[in-house]
Amino acid sequence: MSETREVVVRESGWLKVLRLVGVPFISVLLAMAVGSVIIAVTGGDPVAAFAALLQGAFGGPVQIGETILRTTPLIFTGLAVAFGFRANLFNIGAEGQLAMGALAAAWFGLLLAGLPTGLAIPLVMLGGALFGAAWAFVPALLKARVGAHEVITTMMFSWIALYLVSWIVTGPLSDKSGIPETPMLSSSVWLVTFDKFIAGIPPVRAHLGFIIALAAAAVVWWVLSRTTLGYSVRAVGFNPQAAENGGISIAWTTIWALCISGALAGLAGASEVLGVQHRLFDQVSTSSGFGFTGIAVALLAKNNPTGVVFAALLFGALAAGSGNMQLEANISPQIINIIQGLIIFFVAADSIVTWFIKRRQRLALESKVVADAE
Amino acid sequence: MKRSVRTGLVAAVVVSMAGMMLAGCSPAAPSGGSASSGAASIKTAMVTDVGGLGDKSFNDLSYAGLQRAQKDLKVNIKVLQSHQITDYVTNLSELSGAGYSPVFAVGFLMSDAVTQESTAFPKTDFGGIDIDFTNPPKNVVGLNFKEQEAGYLAGVVAGLATQATFDPRLNKDNTLGFVGGMAIPPVQRYEAGFVAGAKSVDPGVKIISLYAGRFDDQAKGKELGLSLISSGADIVFAAAGQTGTGTEKACADSGKALFIGVDSDQFLTIPNSGNVMLTSAVKRVDNAVYLVVKDAAAGKFPGGQNLTFGLKDDGVGIAPFHDFDSKVPQSIKDAVAKAETDIKSGAVVVPTTLK
Repeated sequence: MSETREVVVRESGWLKVLRLVGVPFISVLLAMAVGSVIIAVTGGDPVAAFAALLQGAFGGPVQIGETILRTTPLIFTGLAVAFGFRANLFNIGAEGQLAMGALAAAWFGLLLAGLPTGLAIPLVMLGGALFGAAWAFVPALLKARVGAHEVITTMMFSWIALYLVSWIVTGPLSDKSGIPETPMLSSSVWLVTFDKFIAGIPPVRAHLGFIIALAAAAVVWWVLSRTTLGYSVRAVGFNPQAAENGGISIAWTTIWALCISGALAGLAGASEVLGVQHRLFDQVSTSSGFGFTGIAVALLAKNNPTGVVFAALLFGALAAGSGNMQLEANISPQIINIIQGLIIFFVAADSIVTWFIKRRQRLALESKVVADAE
Repeated sequence: MKRSVRTGLVAAVVVSMAGMMLAGCSPAAPSGGSASSGAASIKTAMVTDVGGLGDKSFNDLSYAGLQRAQKDLKVNIKVLQSHQITDYVTNLSELSGAGYSPVFAVGFLMSDAVTQESTAFPKTDFGGIDIDFTNPPKNVVGLNFKEQEAGYLAGVVAGLATQATFDPRLNKDNTLGFVGGMAIPPVQRYEAGFVAGAKSVDPGVKIISLYAGRFDDQAKGKELGLSLISSGADIVFAAAGQTGTGTEKACADSGKALFIGVDSDQFLTIPNSGNVMLTSAVKRVDNAVYLVVKDAAAGKFPGGQNLTFGLKDDGVGIAPFHDFDSKVPQSIKDAVAKAETDIKSGAVVVPTTLK
C-alpha cells in the first residue's frame, strides 16, 4: 500500500509540470493543426503558410526584431492580466489602462524632453505606470468597498479612457495637423533600438522596452513568490475566506493587485509610445488590442510570469509572421486571428486535455496496482 | 532561409528581366503587355490601414485601382493588410524588400511609416492615399482629393430635394443632417462642401453635423442618424465609412429620411439600399491609384509632390440617382450639371473648411 501512495505523489508532481507546460503546448499544436485544415480548405498550402510564417517571424535579425517588437507590449499586458488573475480578479480593462499609460508617456514625453535621457525615460515610464495604476484604482476601490464586479467596472473604465484619449489627441495635445495625433516626441526620450547597442546587426525596430518587459516579468515573479504582498495575493486568489481568517485584508489585497495590474498595463502603453510610435494616436479607432490579447497570453501562460514571456513571444511571432504569410503564401491575415482564437479555445478547454491525461494515468496506475497485488 | 528566398527573388527578377528584354526584341509581342504604350511589367502593391479590405471605402477603392491596373496594364499586384498600426512599417518594408514599386500606403495614419520607409528604401516609390506630405522626397507622392467638390454636389442635391415633394419622406423642416467619421481633413472637406452646396441653392437651409469619432461603429452611426432624423433632418449625408452604414440603416428603419452615401457609389455596396439611397458623393481613389501605376509603368512616377484630384481630373464626383432617377425632378439634375460645370471652369471655388 505504502508503495502505491508514493507512486501517486510522484505522478502528481509530474502531472503538475505537464499541466503547466504540456497542456499549453498541446493546445498550440492542436490550434495549428486545425488552422492548417482551415488553410487547406480555403485553398491554401498549410506547409507553405507556416514556413512563410516562421520565415517572417524568425528568418533573420530584422524579422526577429519585428517579433520582439510585438512581443514587448504583450509581456506587459499578459503580466497585468495574470497578476490580477492570481488574486482571482479579472482585469478585462487592461486596454484602457494601457491607453492611460500611453497618454502619460505622450504628455510627460513632451514636458520632460529637455531632461537628460537617463533621467527622462525612467520618469516617463514611471508616469505611464502611475496613470495605468490610477485608472485601475477606482474599479479596485469599488470592488473592495462595495463589491462592484471588476469585469464590469474595468471594462467601462476602458471605454472612458479610450474616449478621453480621443478627445485629448484631437484637443489639448493635438499637433494641429488635422490628424488625431500628438506631436512627435523628441528622440531624446525614445527607447533605443537594439541595433544601437548590438554591433553588426541591421536596423531593427525592437527596442529597450523588451528588456524592461523582461525585468517586469522578473519583478512580478519575485513579488508573487517572495513577498508578503505576493503571498496575500495568492492566498486571496486561492481562498478569500481562509485568507481573511488568516489575517489578510481582502480589501487591501484587491486594491493592490488591481493597481499593480493597471501599472503593468500602463507600462505597455508607455513602452509603445516611447519605443515604437513616438507619438500617441487616437485610441478609439487605432487601438491595437494589446489589452485583450494580454488576456489570451495570461490564459496560455497559466498566470505564470515566466510562462507569460513565452506566451507573449508566441503571439508576437504570429503577428510578426502574418505579413510574410500574406506576401509569400497568399494567406489572409484573418487566418492568424483564427489560430489565436483556436489557441485560446484549446487552452480554455484544457480540462478536456487534462482529463484525458489523468484518465490514462489512472488506468496505468490501476493496472500497476493490480499487477503489484498479484 | 532568408538567403534562399533572396536568391529566389534575384532569380525571379533576372528571369522576368530576361523575359522583358525578349518581349522587347520580338517585333510582335503577343501577350507580354501593351508594349506599344511603353508599359513595362512592374510589380505594384498596397498596404491597407487597420480597416483592411472589405471596408467599402478607401482600402477597397485603392484595391479596385490596382485590379484595374493588373487587367489593363498587365502589372503584378499584391495587398498586405495591417492589423495594428505597428504593422504599417513592417508591411511597407516587406513589399519594398520584395521589389514592389510603387507601394501604396492607404490612409493618413501611415504618414510617419511612409516617410521612414522612403528613406530606408530610396529605390522604391511610395504613394500615400489621403496623405499630405511635408516636402515629399522624389520617391514619394501624396494622393489627396477635393472631397469638398463632391460634398458640394451632394449639398446641391440635398438642398433642393429637402424643399421638393418627390418623395413622401421629405418634410417641411428644411433641415439636413451630416454624420462625420472622425474630424480629419478629408471628412471636414466633405462637410464644408456639403454645407456650401446646400446653402448655394437655399441660404436658409439648416444643417446639423454630428461626428462619431470612428469609422467602424455602425451602432453609433445609427444612433447619430436617428437623432438627426428626430431633429427634423429628412436627408442625411454620412462621410463616415462603416459608421455611415449604420446611418443608412437609421434612415431605412425610421422611414422618415433619405440617405446620401460616400466614397464609393454606396447604392452598389450597401445591399437593398435603393429605397433610401438618393445618391453618393464619390471619391475615385481607384482612378488616382490607377493613374500613378500607369505613370510608373511608363517610367514617369510623379514623385516629390502632393497631387490633388478634383472633379476636373475625375478624382471626385457624384453617383447616379439609381432608383430615384425617375422621381428626381429635372430641375435638380440641371442644377447639379450646372454646379459641375461651374466647379470645373473655376467659376465656383468650393471652400475646404467651414467658415
